[in-house]
Amino acid sequence: MKPSAFEYFTASTVAEAISLLERYEDEAKIIAGGQSLVPMMNFRVAQPEVLIDINGIKELDYIRQEDDEIVIGALTRERDVELSPLVQEKCPILAEAISLIGHASIRTRGTIGGSLVHADPAAEIPVAIYGLDAKMKVVGPSGERTLEPEEFFLSYLTTSLEPSEILVEVRIPVLPQKTGWSFVELTRRRGDFYIVAVASILFMGKGGVCKEARICLGGVGPTSIRAEEAEEILAGQVITDALIEKAGQKAAEAADPESDYHASAEYRRDMTRVFVQRGLAEARNRAKGG
Amino acid sequence: MKIEGKYKFLASQEQIWDLFMDQKNLEKAIPGCEKMEEREPGKYDVLLKIGIAAIKGTYTGKVEVVDPEPPNRYRLLGEGSGNPGFVKGEATIEFSQEGQHTIVSYQGDMQVGGLIAGIGQRMIGGIAKMMAGQFFKKMAKELKSQQ
Amino acid sequence: MPEHLKTFEHKKRNWVGKPLKRKEDLRLLTGRGTFMDDIRLPDMKHAATLRSPYPHAWIKGINVSEALNFPGVRGILTGEDVAKMSNPFPVGVPVPPKYYCCAIDKVRFVGEPVAVVVADDRYVAEDALDLITVDYEPLPVVMDIEEAMSPEAPVLHDNIGSNIYSHRFFQYGDMDKAYKEADLVVKGKFHFPKYGSTPIETYGVIASYNPFSEEFVIYNNYQGPFVNHSLVAIALGIPENKMRWIVPTDIGGGFGTKTGLYPSIALIALAAKKTGMTVKWIEDRREHLLASATGTDRVTYMEAAVKKDGTILGLKDKAIDNTGGYIRAPEPGCAYRSTGNHTGGYQIRNLDREVLVVGTNKCLTAPNRGYTCQELYFSLERMIDLVASELGMDTAEIRFKNFIQPDQFPYTTATGGIYDAGDYQKVFQMALDKIDYKKMREEQRKAREQGRLMGIGFSTVVDPSVTNIAYVTLALTPEERAKGHPKSGSGEAVIIKMDPLGKVHVIACTNPQGQGHDTVISQIVADELGVHPDDVTVSNVVDTHDRVYSITTGSYSSRFSSVVTTAVVTAARRLTEKMLKIAAHLLEANVKELEIQEGKICVKGSPDKSMQMRHVAGTAHWNQAALPEGMDAGLYETCLYTMPTSQPPDELDRVNSSNTYGFMAEAIVVEVDPETGEVKILKWASVHDAGTILNPALLEGQVMGSCAHGLGGSLYEEWAYDENGQCITASFQDYLVPTAMEVPKIDIGHVEIPSPITALGSKGAGESSCMSVPACIGNAIADALAPLGVTISELPLSPNKIWHLIQKAKKKR
Repeated sequence: MKPSAFEYFTASTVAEAISLLERYEDEAKIIAGGQSLVPMMNFRVAQPEVLIDINGIKELDYIRQEDDEIVIGALTRERDVELSPLVQEKCPILAEAISLIGHASIRTRGTIGGSLVHADPAAEIPVAIYGLDAKMKVVGPSGERTLEPEEFFLSYLTTSLEPSEILVEVRIPVLPQKTGWSFVELTRRRGDFYIVAVASILFMGKGGVCKEARICLGGVGPTSIRAEEAEEILAGQVITDALIEKAGQKAAEAADPESDYHASAEYRRDMTRVFVQRGLAEARNRAKGG
Repeated sequence: MKIEGKYKFLASQEQIWDLFMDQKNLEKAIPGCEKMEEREPGKYDVLLKIGIAAIKGTYTGKVEVVDPEPPNRYRLLGEGSGNPGFVKGEATIEFSQEGQHTIVSYQGDMQVGGLIAGIGQRMIGGIAKMMAGQFFKKMAKELKSQQ
Repeated sequence: MPEHLKTFEHKKRNWVGKPLKRKEDLRLLTGRGTFMDDIRLPDMKHAATLRSPYPHAWIKGINVSEALNFPGVRGILTGEDVAKMSNPFPVGVPVPPKYYCCAIDKVRFVGEPVAVVVADDRYVAEDALDLITVDYEPLPVVMDIEEAMSPEAPVLHDNIGSNIYSHRFFQYGDMDKAYKEADLVVKGKFHFPKYGSTPIETYGVIASYNPFSEEFVIYNNYQGPFVNHSLVAIALGIPENKMRWIVPTDIGGGFGTKTGLYPSIALIALAAKKTGMTVKWIEDRREHLLASATGTDRVTYMEAAVKKDGTILGLKDKAIDNTGGYIRAPEPGCAYRSTGNHTGGYQIRNLDREVLVVGTNKCLTAPNRGYTCQELYFSLERMIDLVASELGMDTAEIRFKNFIQPDQFPYTTATGGIYDAGDYQKVFQMALDKIDYKKMREEQRKAREQGRLMGIGFSTVVDPSVTNIAYVTLALTPEERAKGHPKSGSGEAVIIKMDPLGKVHVIACTNPQGQGHDTVISQIVADELGVHPDDVTVSNVVDTHDRVYSITTGSYSSRFSSVVTTAVVTAARRLTEKMLKIAAHLLEANVKELEIQEGKICVKGSPDKSMQMRHVAGTAHWNQAALPEGMDAGLYETCLYTMPTSQPPDELDRVNSSNTYGFMAEAIVVEVDPETGEVKILKWASVHDAGTILNPALLEGQVMGSCAHGLGGSLYEEWAYDENGQCITASFQDYLVPTAMEVPKIDIGHVEIPSPITALGSKGAGESSCMSVPACIGNAIADALAPLGVTISELPLSPNKIWHLIQKAKKKR
């Protein structure tokens, strides 16, 4: 479990990183926290000829509020996002999702940008990002572009990033007060890759009516899946137990799970139902101020 | 691991049969196929560079068309080995006409061995399905460019 | 221990029994331990092993030319070299497979070594592995234990002709009579999974070969038994004194897994011989999870002939163990090692056994914490619960009904085991009290009314420690044994020295893997010689040239507390005896008149006629002329002790397969989430009789560890293969070892029923709950799911598996 040989460069600005990427294209891999890349290199399932270390690009490490968005630099460590008072107040579902990633020591190195670009189908951050409808800002030789989650995440471990592009920022809409939310997951052990994960957000209107619901599923497809038909069941309604049950059943239909050693496709599909139901109940509780 | 699926093409069954029998199309459609040389009729040597993101591997192998029953079905055998391990698969491909469309359905078995099998089991099934999908998308693209 | 030394028995123990902090910890916690990877030798090179990606294939050819030319590569060893340079390992079955340390013409499991590259560093060695091309011709695989026995199954070894390595029948008592007298026969089939112990430190070997003296020197982290030193010598075609094994001070965990190291020792030794280099190989985690060692997976068919009142008259069982692509020593111990305690803690006098050991395309086995008892007790204890269920009997009541009674000890089992001491009722009652059993049944009744799945499980098992190597010969029939040489014994060697100032140094060879042996030895010697544990230093590793050790030496089958402690005490008392003889000579008194009081040897009744013990020591070294005539100078005593209860099997296949027998009662209360199949442990009591407790803090650690281990095998861990023979748990992402977050609070209790056959009354303790927990959790979950009509007959019980069992049961209704 030793990596194969590679050339190593450090970049201290985004422009430097991009020019290195342009030079080496798909021979090169960016390394930030390395919590996913280094094990893959040690197993030799990834053998990049060139590593571009961006840990020195301090300008990409920030968390701030700009109008009604929380804006986070790609190099921000997961632990910093998790513990940030701003994030906990304005988009707490992201902090909760991050708290379930691996173990604290991993989160002190892993970055939010790295997790997004790695696009593991059983990672927490992408599920929360889809649920929040956050945007990804990407920079390349031909300039900047901003991508919706559906445009950014393509499939297993695959994003729409071009070989010489680098993710620089995530922009997350601030959640209104009294928004219900939850992030729940089923894992074998604390810190493992989950079997299913569900992010739920309930935007509440007057009289206890849910204006809009977001139900995002992880672990049951090549990317996260928004269970739109389940969301529609709740939109404009007062959330009753019966509706939660129905939404769970509907969400299970949206899942596209595979079987593996730990969980069969049937089990994942049924757990989608169960965790959507549990997640919605928890979200409703929070919306009530519980 | 079992793989199966269906794909719909807007063309006649004979056209689709010819499309799938043409080595040039296979070379363009098979994911990561860099080289394909016919050793004997229906038997090909291949060089594949398959990868997802940073996980790339080079495999040398063979692809074989067996038991062809034009224009209804045939079996495809393939195997490749490289540093990350080996891949071996077989599939039965069936064609049927549905109005103006031809349905291509496949049912097969895939074995993945070596490094990837040992540490990647949670994604192999999904990735195999995804690559099968890529193959058919590329075939559809070839069909379109020929029409 | 010689009878006359027993008179030195202490009335007061100052140190044994106290929770003394470990001497080992300071160096371990400050990074000053010496593990295999800490050893750096001059001009040392590094090895990487090419391993088969195929579970079953012919090797048509290997091309190493590109790899040999890679800069930094010093040499490559292939199967062709190994076939020329070594012999197959001997193993105790009638028709053995040809098992070499490397695949020769065929690979039989994923991960089997195919070649070894020696290079300047491990990075380069692995680069060179990528340049080796092997031409494999894949063959059909056989993965299922029962399918492996079918005549249509692919055959792994042509020279055997089938996949059955060992097959024997045993009869004890009169099973026919038992069936006739029975009111009911209860049947069950059980499947125990393949899993291991994944010690935190992997295998390590540093080998060098001197071509002039034709001697190997091999550093390695082998845990014993040193039987395997002899086997490697035979494989390498050398006498034993031409191969020196040196074990470092610290080993990061053994658990039986490090008994499977010896083939790698041979492999790296050959790499050193071929290349002329000193070669270091540290196994990486992926290699470990592919090709190190696990326990066997086992299929058991069991039938119990029982009376309506719950008495179990007899058992008939057929057990099929899977040792993988080959069988290697100490297998087929998997089938025979637990012979003496096969019927556990129960008075079952009639037993019919059919034993099969088979091969499939899986990695190989070695003793795994509890060695065969995890498999045995899963079947036996599940069976007890099945019988209780058929009879409508309480699962605690049926155990009390069948236990051996306290006044029956020492108790000889139907299979020849001699249980030294025990009070099973007391231990089990303590466990029941700890979980408040009556209250738990009441809560279960209420929970069931609410549709909640709450379950209570027990397992009550005998802990056999100090393996008697005689058990290996049970693979042969009595007639075959009569033609050969008997085997017996469970010996250990200890040397104690006292220096001129009265400080003590002990030389033992238990190769501790984290148990804290040095601390306990200090406590024992401090009590025996009236010194402080800080006055006692210990070296405790094997060097096959420089150390006195026995063929059974090592730490396995929890033998330290029984045989090693007895050897330590015996050696210490020999030293005491010698000091008394010297003092008697110098005080002109009779030895029988002397007593030892607080560091002084005095004549009874004449306190002024005395000598400081350290002056006796000083005299023994400095004034040799003053010693009694004919006495050796110095203070240096050896004990090579073997337990007299280790005898060969008799002609009826009865054998005392172990020597001291402890007892555990495990009681676990669970709740199963009916939606997700997740298991939550509500209460857990684990009560142990390990005889006299030597150091309660160390024992607590052992029990916690064995509980966590057992929890792993019950719910999380499995060495899994797909139907094509690929190992799919080759990293800790998928091989799920429970972490601190998964282990619940465990209420640990102790009952001390001292053994009459060890010097201090202690019995083995380290494996303990590993044997009882899988059965207990299986029983608890079965109890929880009983209202749904689900039966439990296999492990591990993942939520996915439980969910499927529940769905299946729902469909049946």
